[in-house]
Amino acid sequence: MKKFFSKYGIWVLAATVLLAVLLSVLSYFSATSSIMRNAMGIVASPFRAAATGVTGWFEDKRHYYADYNELLAENQKLRDELATLRADEQQAERDREENKLLRELLGLREQRRDFVFESAKVLEHSGSNWTRTLTLNRGTNHGVAVNNVVVSSEGYMIGIVTEAGLNWCTVQELVDTDTEIGALVFRTGDVVIAEGDFALMQKNKLKVTYLPADTALLVGDYIMTSGLGGYYPSNIALGVVERVEADDNGLAQYAVLAPLVDYNALTEVFIIKDYEIVE
Amino acid sequence: MLTRRDIIIKWTTISVAALLLELLFGFLLGGAVIFGVHLFLPPLIVGIVASLEDTHAGTFFALACGVLCDLALPGVFPCLYTLAFTLAALACSYLAKNVVQPGPLCSLIVSALTFAVADLFIMAALGLTDRAPFLEMASVAVREMALSCVLVLVCHPVLTFLHRKFTI
Repeated sequence: MKKFFSKYGIWVLAATVLLAVLLSVLSYFSATSSIMRNAMGIVASPFRAAATGVTGWFEDKRHYYADYNELLAENQKLRDELATLRADEQQAERDREENKLLRELLGLREQRRDFVFESAKVLEHSGSNWTRTLTLNRGTNHGVAVNNVVVSSEGYMIGIVTEAGLNWCTVQELVDTDTEIGALVFRTGDVVIAEGDFALMQKNKLKVTYLPADTALLVGDYIMTSGLGGYYPSNIALGVVERVEADDNGLAQYAVLAPLVDYNALTEVFIIKDYEIVE
Repeated sequence: MLTRRDIIIKWTTISVAALLLELLFGFLLGGAVIFGVHLFLPPLIVGIVASLEDTHAGTFFALACGVLCDLALPGVFPCLYTLAFTLAALACSYLAKNVVQPGPLCSLIVSALTFAVADLFIMAALGLTDRAPFLEMASVAVREMALSCVLVLVCHPVLTFLHRKFTI
């Protein structure tokens, strides 16, 4: 065995180490994506789009025939929800008017949230069991940059851009193990951290940690981005609390957070390229 | 003895076959989740080719596959597949030349070995983050390996056919 590896192994391993170091260094020092990864992304882009197109077509055909009864039930549920939302909207309109009047009386600046969006199509859902990413068809050519926030058409957070090539970018999904975002509990205003966890990632969930000792989280509580530090815009919905549990040592609590986005159904998303918020 | 031209044709054919297998797999099973895991084809191709071919050639093929995977796929760290596939290919070549005769059983063993090496690297890297319990990672690794190794039924005949066509 020793002879085998001394005969074949040494210079093969030397070449491997050299390439590995090169890949790591390029990855570390590049603000967007390394030259080689960028080139590979550009070459792979049409293939990814073709693969997504073909599988999407087959999925559409399958759903067309399979989901009729499900759609009828969903339609009824949505009609009920719409009726409730219409009533809420009327109340919100009255509240908005009142809020405007009170702000004018107190001399406060008008609240506004200006976002610069870039719409993008999902080219690929990562097929890895160890990370959760999406590849989109927008890149630095369209003004997309690393750390841009990606949201759904409803405004729910999907993830963060972690790599940007010329005409593609990679989005780390919210449930990925590397996620760590400053968040707050919408109902109480408590500042917490939303972070990925490998075991929960398998179930499309993530963790809410650093819960204040006196916090009383309820199932169904909305968790939003805090916007603290200025990295990401504030008040973007991350998900709802599904349950609260004690951690392994029993001293602290964490909550399991269910994102509001169905990652498997995503085809079109919006990248927030720039934003200005006055609160 | 193969001429320089034969060698170029042989490796171009093997590479194209590997790419076609990967594309076919992507179209048919790319998005499929079976028992909670996605199947993964590259370790099978790397392991089987390394077990069939000469050690140097097999290892450099694995190195090239590793670099391509690192550039094209999201990884836990930037040079994961470059390191894992090359080391696994060396071990697969040693196994095929000293322990098990190349054949379906050998292909199954080397595929599992390549998965094991890659997954060990991943588990070590994720283990450092303190957000990935070992048992959960091991469960995913075993399911991924067991289910993906079924694809040996497709990869082994194709790659063995090409090996025989160009070598014998």
